[in-house]
Amino acid sequence: MKIMNCPMNGPRNVSEFVWGGEVREMPDPAASDHEWAEYVFIENNTKGVVREWWMHAPTSYWFIAERNTETDEIVRTYPATELYNSRREFK
Amino acid sequence: MNTPLTPQSLPRRSFLYRKLAALGARFAAGNEAAIAASFGGTDEAAAAHNLGLADLSPLRRVGFKGPGAADWLVAQGLTVPEVNRCAAQADGARLFRLGANDLMITTDLGATATLPDKLSAAWAALENPPQSPRGFPMPRQEGFCWFVLTGRHAAAAMAKVCGVDLRPHRFPVGAIAQTSVARLSAVAARDDINGTLAFQLFADSASAEYWWDCILDAMQEFGGRPVGTEALRAL
Repeated sequence: MKIMNCPMNGPRNVSEFVWGGEVREMPDPAASDHEWAEYVFIENNTKGVVREWWMHAPTSYWFIAERNTETDEIVRTYPATELYNSRREFK
Repeated sequence: MNTPLTPQSLPRRSFLYRKLAALGARFAAGNEAAIAASFGGTDEAAAAHNLGLADLSPLRRVGFKGPGAADWLVAQGLTVPEVNRCAAQADGARLFRLGANDLMITTDLGATATLPDKLSAAWAALENPPQSPRGFPMPRQEGFCWFVLTGRHAAAAMAKVCGVDLRPHRFPVGAIAQTSVARLSAVAARDDINGTLAFQLFADSASAEYWWDCILDAMQEFGGRPVGTEALRAL
């Protein structure tokens, strides 16, 4: 059984988690449709360690995991507040 | 005169009322619903000590979620524990902290604690609930079914349907595990009743009948059976 460590709930069967895509910088709201389409729909599909959104389904808790896409090893998981720790204002 | 109370004669019903009636439950009225008070048979209290499953779905519970929810409950005078812990309140009610700002308050087994109703009223009386606080009430009464699993084999029965180690020496009183129980996303909290091992169990009410059957099935091996609220109060 593969185990993932949820920052809020601790180690759980990986079947309790839902993948939420790569963590990427959001484009400027005024960016072109092409840039936005790329951000929303296209994954980089990097080989190696990537940063991804994951959700623990029983608690709907979203967090960030660093995972090696080559070996499927989960390197580290942490709360999203580690990256997103201040409010962003958009004009 | 002594016509037995039927679930259909009251405005609210347990999600399981058909199953409870088929199991021969004798019902008692509470919170405008029929609560399974006893299933008869020999010594139901002993069954609750061994391994018993009770349905508390009709009993009062409320939830509050979103920014400001925990602070608001602290301001209401509640004891708010850390995330994934539950805490008894002054009137016997329980507060389950399911997230930093996701909290559920239930009445006690005897349904004497009125804290859920008081909080609902206090929330409704807020002048501007969406902003102050910015949280929102969660319909836990309708969204969750509520079971209690009691007895010395409770952890062993749970081990058949749940991957988290709930054995008493690993899972202390007041601990909450939010995990998969019989393939359903669920809340399992350890809340012993007068020294008897007990888990409060909550999961999606739409799957209540399925869940009840799964847990009873896991209990068979240990001689478990359904018990009513009278047996819980006798613990």
